[in-house]
Amino acid sequence: MLEPHGDCGPHGAWFALMIFYILRRLLFLPLTLFGISLLIFLMIGFLGPYQRLATFINSPERLKGADVDKLVELYGLNDPLIIQYGRWLKNVLRGNLGWSYVGKEPVLSAILKRFPYTLELTLFAAIPIIFLGTSLGVLAALNHNKPLDHGLRIFAVVGWSFPDFVFGLFVLMIFYGTLGWFPPGNLSVWAEEIVKSPHFRNFTGMLTLDALLNGRFDVFLDALRHLAGPVLTLTYVEFAFLLRITRSSMLEVLRKEYVRTARAKGLDERVVIHKHAKRNALIPVATVSGQTVIGLLAGTVIVETIFNRTGLGSFIALASQQLDYASIMGGSLFFGLILVIGNLCVDLSYALIDPRVRLE
Amino acid sequence: MKEPVLLEVRNLKVYFRNDEGLELRAVDGVSFTVPPGKTVALVGESGCGKSVTALAILRLVEANGRIAGGEVLFEGKNLLALSEREMQRVRGKEIAIIFQEPSAALNPVYTVGEQIVEAILLHQSVSREKARALAEEMLHLVGIPEPRKRLNEYPHELSGGMKQRAMIAMALSCRPKLLIADEPTTSLDVTIQAQILELLRELQRQIGMAILLITHDLGIVADMADEVVVMYAGKVVERGTKYDIFKRCRHPYTLGLLRSVPRLDVDENALASIPGFVPDPLHFPEGCRFRGRCFLEDETCATEPPEVALGDGHVVYCHHAALSEVCHGER
Amino acid sequence: MREETRKALRRLFSNASGVLGVVLLGLFVIVALFAPLLAPPKPGRDPYFMPVVTWSADPLPPSREHPFGVAGKRDIFYGVVWGTRTAFRIGILVTLASTAIGLFVGSLAGYFGRILDEILMRVTDVFMAIPFLVAAMVLTTVLGTGLDKVMIALIVFSWMYPARLIRGNILQVKEEQFILAAKSLGVSDTLIILRHVLPNAIFPVLIQASMRMGSLVITAAALSFLGLGAPQGYADWGALLNYARNWMLGGYGATFKYWYMIAFPGGAMVLFVLAWNLLGDALRDAFDPRLRW
Ligand SMILES: Nc1ncnc2c1ncn2[C@@H]1O[C@H](COP(=O)(O)OP(=O)(O)OP(=O)(O)O)[C@@H](O)[C@H]1O
Ligand SMILES: [Mg+2]
Repeated sequence: MLEPHGDCGPHGAWFALMIFYILRRLLFLPLTLFGISLLIFLMIGFLGPYQRLATFINSPERLKGADVDKLVELYGLNDPLIIQYGRWLKNVLRGNLGWSYVGKEPVLSAILKRFPYTLELTLFAAIPIIFLGTSLGVLAALNHNKPLDHGLRIFAVVGWSFPDFVFGLFVLMIFYGTLGWFPPGNLSVWAEEIVKSPHFRNFTGMLTLDALLNGRFDVFLDALRHLAGPVLTLTYVEFAFLLRITRSSMLEVLRKEYVRTARAKGLDERVVIHKHAKRNALIPVATVSGQTVIGLLAGTVIVETIFNRTGLGSFIALASQQLDYASIMGGSLFFGLILVIGNLCVDLSYALIDPRVRLE
Repeated sequence: MKEPVLLEVRNLKVYFRNDEGLELRAVDGVSFTVPPGKTVALVGESGCGKSVTALAILRLVEANGRIAGGEVLFEGKNLLALSEREMQRVRGKEIAIIFQEPSAALNPVYTVGEQIVEAILLHQSVSREKARALAEEMLHLVGIPEPRKRLNEYPHELSGGMKQRAMIAMALSCRPKLLIADEPTTSLDVTIQAQILELLRELQRQIGMAILLITHDLGIVADMADEVVVMYAGKVVERGTKYDIFKRCRHPYTLGLLRSVPRLDVDENALASIPGFVPDPLHFPEGCRFRGRCFLEDETCATEPPEVALGDGHVVYCHHAALSEVCHGER
Repeated sequence: MREETRKALRRLFSNASGVLGVVLLGLFVIVALFAPLLAPPKPGRDPYFMPVVTWSADPLPPSREHPFGVAGKRDIFYGVVWGTRTAFRIGILVTLASTAIGLFVGSLAGYFGRILDEILMRVTDVFMAIPFLVAAMVLTTVLGTGLDKVMIALIVFSWMYPARLIRGNILQVKEEQFILAAKSLGVSDTLIILRHVLPNAIFPVLIQASMRMGSLVITAAALSFLGLGAPQGYADWGALLNYARNWMLGGYGATFKYWYMIAFPGGAMVLFVLAWNLLGDALRDAFDPRLRW
């Protein structure tokens, strides 16, 4: 791990250390990805050869009329697992992840089509989570051991204890079933027609962004309305962790001597808090925020399922329910990839935020 | 004739509440004065309340502590009665403070320049450019080479001694009338210690400020101080001029403190330190707090010791002030 | 150490939220123990399967006969009561097994260090790279439904957390004096780990286990909720909530009348997880006041 140092001597040494650190991380990246693929393959390896056949066939036509036994032979599904793994990996590297029954298209294109929806949901949820988590965390720290602090702690620990599917069901019941505000799904039927029409151009695959780029403000609002329920759910369930981290980081910083120095200069308490304390307290919080956002991707499995949304999370849930192994393998591999790369980016960006680690 | 007084601390009390909710009387009735332009040393063992006293003067004690009584008169006005806003105008401008650990005292996410400029802009109505120029001048004054370059560096890029110089530059940037230096050299190595002390003395001469020097190093006291205040367990036990304390001290604790300093000219066996341990602030003894460790102790010590004035500002708090004079023969 | 422990326990029981956690857990333990009295099973049937009580698939609101209502033809009260046992079983068994594995792997990595450490840590990286729920989903689909399969999947993907904790503790303790002293006396490595390192790491591990208990039970329930965990009709809070899902999507205006389908099993889950989280928080406050939040 990268730890900020107090005294770290001349600049050159730091620079070298950073380069070394980045290189090390980059070196381990393919190794980790390799490990993930092996792990997933081994799990699926518990299955019989016929069930695994699906992960090799790229289109259903090729199964039509074909002799399944021959295909098993053809793909060497009775060979030793190591050899099979090699073959599968080669396929994966070529972008062939098999045929998805759930998506009725090749797994890779099914994933790539759904990922933007999930990313969109994650990004939208990240905004209130980070905002509420950090600002309420600072607020709690500034009111240390006062009623407000206790209140926020209770609010947070209850949210933290709420399984996302329980809270999601409540949100669905109240905000859709009773109030009719936040409907499930990705879009209303009318909006979906617009999005599917040839005039509507897909730039990013994210509905809100595309709607704005196409100048369809009504579609944008509709997409937002559909995002609200899942975002609300993810926010309440996930912001607590950030609140805790921010609160304890802030409490720690408030005890630091440089905060006392700032006060001793004659600075106003507001300046002391917002300029001197907060900036330091939020450095570790930034990393945790990044990790939380990456962790949200996994939360989408449940939330997308409850709110009946199309996305990578509901795709993998559906694939699991229907034992669509090609989709399961491809989906989990993709999740692993995103997670590993995301975490790497978070760790590296940490170096940019903290001047003690800053590269000139 | 009454001496002029810059700072007068009268019967200051600072109480903390610990995790278990118990009251901890860290500073309990401390009084002393600091004349303008002079150096007063505040000495005592670790934990006797020196830092808390210093922070209380600036009203910066931590949230779990409170100033439970007393007065802090600075140029005649009671700082404890000021509004927070008025107090902010005193901090940094009239009274500045530097701490023991320079690495911890500078904010790691701002450059040295930003932190000094901030102090200047706060108390002087100058432009940002002028403030930068002043900051550079201050860095030059405290003996930091290449001050312009250093302004743009972060604290971690400076060595410990440099950081303390930068802290001094920041503290003195608004020419305060009083500098409180809380063990400014304890965390530095010996050669740098001497340089920093020399620097403080030099700057004191140039700026004409008074220094309240907190230390437990009697060598530094002998070197720097005009007057000395000796604290023990949250109370002042004796105060007077450097000569009073080093040559005619009357409190058994002061005596013990002086004796615990190794001296080349004295026989090994005379190198006695004080028996026993510093009492836990939760369980200070009733009456004289030095009870239990004192060689002059008797029943009278169970009551609060009287203030005994010995003339010329030499004051001792002891039931046996008359007796203890005799003990000097031993030394 | 003894004195420290006693002090910490006193701190634990003077902490309101810790006491609340313990009380809540106590209630759940009572419900689990007295399940056969609270919701008597039909004789001759596996009590862990909720009996079918109606013919219609429509949910029924709470009544005298079915105090929490009926969902998916099954009595919610029965499911909540017996589901308590399921939750405890999953939580405790998975925590014990994953902690045991974690202790073993973490001790190896931390104590022998160097290459073994590097390899083991990279392996934990890989296991942690796939999101917990997704990884558990993949493994349960392969292993098939059933509570035992769920537990295996959860164990396979949760031993890394205690392993890392133990490793960190060992690295820290390793530097300390008494280990060096023991080593210079020629005490064997195994003995050092057993005598010195593990006793020191026991409280952090306990605290972490209590904090993990919540997320384990949530994940197990999530699998059941998705229809991947407990088999059809098994007394499990997640499975009960699964019945509610379709009714909540069934168009607006009418769903609030099905509130009991979420409120009872959902409430039980939230309180159960909350109890463990409160306990974990309080334990940490008590044993490591520095980390107080
Ligand atoms: N925030 C606080 N809460 C509780 N107790 C405190 C707090 N700050 C200081 N104390 C207590 O007050 C007493 C005096 O502390 P202080 O820091 O003034 O000692 P000191 O004389 O400066 O010692 P040193 O030479 O080690 O710096 C100590 O017993 C300390 O434990
Ligand atoms: Mg001090």
